[in-house]
Amino acid sequence: MTTPSSEKSDLAIDVSGARYVYPTGNVVALGGVDLQVEHGEILGIIGQNGSGKTTLTKLFNGLLKPTGGKVVINGVDTDGHTVQQMAAHVGYVFQNPNHQLFARTVQAELEFGPRNIGVPEEEITERVAEAVEFFGLAGVIEEHPYRVSFPIRKLVGIASIVTMRPSILIFDEPSTGQDHQTTKIINDLMRGLREKGTTVVCVSHDMPLLADVVERVVVMKDTQIIADAAPRDVFADKELMARTNLQAPQATDIALQTVVPLGGPTALTPGELADDLVSRLSKASTSQPTR
Amino acid sequence: MSMQASLPVSLIPGDSLIHRINPLVKIVWVVGYIILAFSTQNIIILYSMALFAFLLAPIAGVTKPLLKGALILVPIASSLLALQIIAPAVEKPWTPVAEIGALTIYGDGLYYGLVLLGRIVASLLIALVMVMTTHPSDLFTSLAKIKVPYTLNFMLAMTMQLIPVFQREVGIILSAQKSRGMKGSGFAAVLPSFVPVFVGAIERVQQLSISLESRGFGSDGVKTSFRQVRTRPSDWVLGILGAIILLGLAVFSITKGLWSLSALIMFPAALVTWIFIIAATVFGIIVFGALALAIFKK
Repeated sequence: MTTPSSEKSDLAIDVSGARYVYPTGNVVALGGVDLQVEHGEILGIIGQNGSGKTTLTKLFNGLLKPTGGKVVINGVDTDGHTVQQMAAHVGYVFQNPNHQLFARTVQAELEFGPRNIGVPEEEITERVAEAVEFFGLAGVIEEHPYRVSFPIRKLVGIASIVTMRPSILIFDEPSTGQDHQTTKIINDLMRGLREKGTTVVCVSHDMPLLADVVERVVVMKDTQIIADAAPRDVFADKELMARTNLQAPQATDIALQTVVPLGGPTALTPGELADDLVSRLSKASTSQPTR
Repeated sequence: MSMQASLPVSLIPGDSLIHRINPLVKIVWVVGYIILAFSTQNIIILYSMALFAFLLAPIAGVTKPLLKGALILVPIASSLLALQIIAPAVEKPWTPVAEIGALTIYGDGLYYGLVLLGRIVASLLIALVMVMTTHPSDLFTSLAKIKVPYTLNFMLAMTMQLIPVFQREVGIILSAQKSRGMKGSGFAAVLPSFVPVFVGAIERVQQLSISLESRGFGSDGVKTSFRQVRTRPSDWVLGILGAIILLGLAVFSITKGLWSLSALIMFPAALVTWIFIIAATVFGIIVFGALALAIFKK
């Protein structure tokens, strides 16, 4: 197997005029989409079910080849390369971990990906050890992946991709059905990956998660990208939210109804909103004459 | 979303003459077809059956999906004919008609190849027409009417419904494995993917049984069905007629020593040779094409 040359190109993801029509019929899943993502960007894709989010991300690692237009990843055209070849560039974390786990132990599961793309054994050991520590999997390393609880299984699924250290990592609904603790680990992971320069694409309905982590939000509706901006701008756009049937994070919603008209920030997280409210309240109390 | 369309064999909704026939009558015909097909070696009967089944398709408006479903016959037909012509599945003596290099071409091989193929073609076509024109619920309602226990009916229904679910599931799992850089192709490479498929299947069945129990499955009383199936006089006629003709021919065939015409029909040597060459070539293309594709994809 030949690995595509990983010469640095300017863009991590370069999608131009990509169309996708499912082979079985006339279902257009993607109708001429343009998207440029730079190296190290952290990007959220939102939209209703059936808007084309998953189809778009499946173009990134070549699981689907565009039926029109072009998809270039790290300077490599996905057309003409197999998914296995693209796997060295793009990691894809599936929504349901049950779909991607099969090894006898968690350890073997974490080693499978890097071994497939030809990582030397010592480095595999190193990467696995690091992942075990980060995801807190030390207690289950010898367990069968199906014997651990669902949230842990999800983490194993994510860790099994992270150990491949792709330069682009796609998460499909990482926080669905997860408890708070797991969501926090995923949140930390995405931040950590960004610090290391990994490009992160996260498809999610979990607006608070996205508001907290991503720097750019792409909104999809009816197989098209209809907005592409910073989360603050996207979530503050009431008309856009209504048109796409999406719900801005509660913190943003409350901020829009309270502090924004008073010149406060369009808060993305509860913490940000609370800080502004606290400073306003303390200002109000100090400005009041003491009796 | 696109799952329905990707299934080669499923109900094609319609209101044709064939769609309106009682499902039990269709079962009588399918079973009768299979019994007759495997009780005779008369190729005239076999291919008349196939032709009759095929002629039902335009009446039911399912010609295109039927042809699509029947594509599976191409590898079967080519391999069957090619192999039977050089190695007939009957007792010796075989009558050689020609030679190609080290291969001897046998005339009776073609006859028995056609018999085996005719059985498959006739049974497959009638079964496809039946599946494409019968709503699964109607089928199970009818079966319940003739006192087939509804738990058994339910098992059948579930099995049929799970096939497309599994197809989709296998697709997703293979995608997930490929995304992890799974190398190679063929059976060995696909093997790891069976673990998630089976685990998923078992989990699904567990969940199903829990939800069934919580919805009162297995409670006493008379079961009714939303969809009503009528039995018209014409259904009685068709059913009895079908049973008499098909089973009658089957009994007749058996008493006449399977009614083989192999002693009467002498295929010209050139015809047998050409059929062998064509069948072997088609089969070769299918096998090596798939192989080449797998290697090329690597």
